[in-house]
Amino acid sequence: MAGVLTICRKELSDHLGSKRYLLLFALIVVLSVLSAYTGSEYIRDNPNSSFTSIFSGSMNSSFSFIYLMVLFGPIIGLALGFDAINRERTRGSLSVILSQPIFRDSILNGKFIAGVAALSLLAVSTVGIITGISIPMLGYGPGGEDILRIGLFTLLTILYLSIWLAVGLLFSTMTKSTTTSILMSISTWLFFSILISILATLVANAVVPVEVASGFQMVQGGNQTMGDIRDLEDMASAFNRTQTFQQTETSEYMESMEENANLEATIQKISPTYLYEEASQSLLGVTEGGFGQGGNPFQALETTQSVSSSWPQVTVLAVVLIACFASSYMLFLRQEIRAGG
Amino acid sequence: MSKPIIETHQLTKQYGEFTAVNNLELSINEGEIVGFLGPNGAGKTTTLLMLMGLSVPTSGTATVGGYDVVEESKQVRQIAGMMPEGSGYYEDLTARQNLQYIGQLNDIPKDEVDNRIDELLEAVDLVKWADTKVEKFSRGMKQRLGISEVLIKQPKIAFFDEPTLGLDPKSTKELRDILLKLNKEQGLTIFLSSHLLHEVQQTCQRVLIIRRGKLVAADTIANLSNNLLSKDMSSIEFELTEIDSDLIQKLNDVSGVKSVEQQNHKLFVNLENGNVREVSETITKHGSIILLMKPRTFSLEEIFLDYYKED
Repeated sequence: MAGVLTICRKELSDHLGSKRYLLLFALIVVLSVLSAYTGSEYIRDNPNSSFTSIFSGSMNSSFSFIYLMVLFGPIIGLALGFDAINRERTRGSLSVILSQPIFRDSILNGKFIAGVAALSLLAVSTVGIITGISIPMLGYGPGGEDILRIGLFTLLTILYLSIWLAVGLLFSTMTKSTTTSILMSISTWLFFSILISILATLVANAVVPVEVASGFQMVQGGNQTMGDIRDLEDMASAFNRTQTFQQTETSEYMESMEENANLEATIQKISPTYLYEEASQSLLGVTEGGFGQGGNPFQALETTQSVSSSWPQVTVLAVVLIACFASSYMLFLRQEIRAGG
Repeated sequence: MSKPIIETHQLTKQYGEFTAVNNLELSINEGEIVGFLGPNGAGKTTTLLMLMGLSVPTSGTATVGGYDVVEESKQVRQIAGMMPEGSGYYEDLTARQNLQYIGQLNDIPKDEVDNRIDELLEAVDLVKWADTKVEKFSRGMKQRLGISEVLIKQPKIAFFDEPTLGLDPKSTKELRDILLKLNKEQGLTIFLSSHLLHEVQQTCQRVLIIRRGKLVAADTIANLSNNLLSKDMSSIEFELTEIDSDLIQKLNDVSGVKSVEQQNHKLFVNLENGNVREVSETITKHGSIILLMKPRTFSLEEIFLDYYKED
């Protein structure tokens, strides 16, 4: 146990002093402050929304803290993990550490715990900063329930960032050179934060094509302005307008569109970024009723309901984390220390 | 007779089809300085890794300081230190910080670590550089830091894997002096793996020669040297003022002389019957002056190459 603590302490002080971490930290703080502005603007425009919307903003205007985490979360976690093991291996310090009276798993445990601690610090401070600067902007603070939701959301964010740390650790255990693992990390980042949504759309359109007819275009048009639709009546009138144009084919369009959207969502569900987005929306109680499901966009769920509805995503995220960590664990313990590296 | 501190029994390591170490039988006593010789790829490093409990033997057993290297590998690493080949340090930390980290990993109390660091830095002559980042160190300084990292846990046994590789002669000598001093003053058992024969000859009391994973020799250099001559044969080394082919011809005619070898000013006369007197008389009669005359000893290089002549 002493070994784990010693390694963890050293790694943590390495992280906190590293240019890499400080740079990412600064970047995230600056962007978070900006997201707090757009978030509070959204709340001012939508008096019905809760304080927690500060993190989600509008679903359609993309710049929010959640979106920030979807985009940059992977690179933060990966950056802290991608060279954890292979750098020590190439430098020759791994064999020095291994010849000390510690168990091999202490090295991995210590490095992982230190990484999680550094990520927690980042998550807690950015969430804190956003909450802090939003209060004067809005003129009121979060209620008790909001604080609970924000706390849960922070934990979720730490879990989400730790997944990418574990993926980075896995890469650093798998590969001999840091160049390989950095390339793997960058491709992983691009794939999960950007490519997957494009890919999901492409696949969904190929499997369930939505015929481009005037009806569909109208529906699409309606979708884009959804942020402006204030209540069900507006939505219904949008429907009616569509229906009058293409009355006979509407149900077919709607069906294929829904199928298309479902498929797209299912494909995206393999990505922790999407799961994180879903789970944080329900934890923050900002889930909007989907278009066509007739839900009230601003009907907030109870906190307990939020927790239970985010449970499936959280479970999957936790499983991904454990799977990644366990694989690097097994790889590392089986790896032979051999002559010449 | 001191008791063995390292013992292996049929120690074997295979990587797939390749046998790196083959049924190795070792016994090393406490306080010995042993040289472990073999060319690259002979299985030296693999053996060291197994003895430190870092690599699991395919078969066979080994104990270090009475601890089994597989079952009690952590205890082995408590009493044994190793400086691995090409070992590295945390370049962004100072020498002292590097040592502190290793000390903490060994669970040594902080005050004690600090005391030991001061002593060790003194011993390896790095006091001036204690608070300099390792990235600024020369190769020799890094190797000296490596030695102090091995010693901070106050081990009973120290394994060094090619410690002087790439060092200049001065640093090599400094390193050797440190090792000899530690052995003399603290009775440290030193296991030195190297293919620098000269170094081993200067440092080690006993040498082990490993060839394709098998131990082919384990003895003192003097004994190994004697073994090179077949029974009833003796070889005399002469250093003469003048050597010509006529003299060599005359020596070959002396009864009992098997062969005569010339190396610059030296003559090696191999004799079957110990008829040294006649040999020296022949030389003096020829008109040469004998500057030196002694029984021939073989250098470690000659011994080593003899074991590897089949390759």
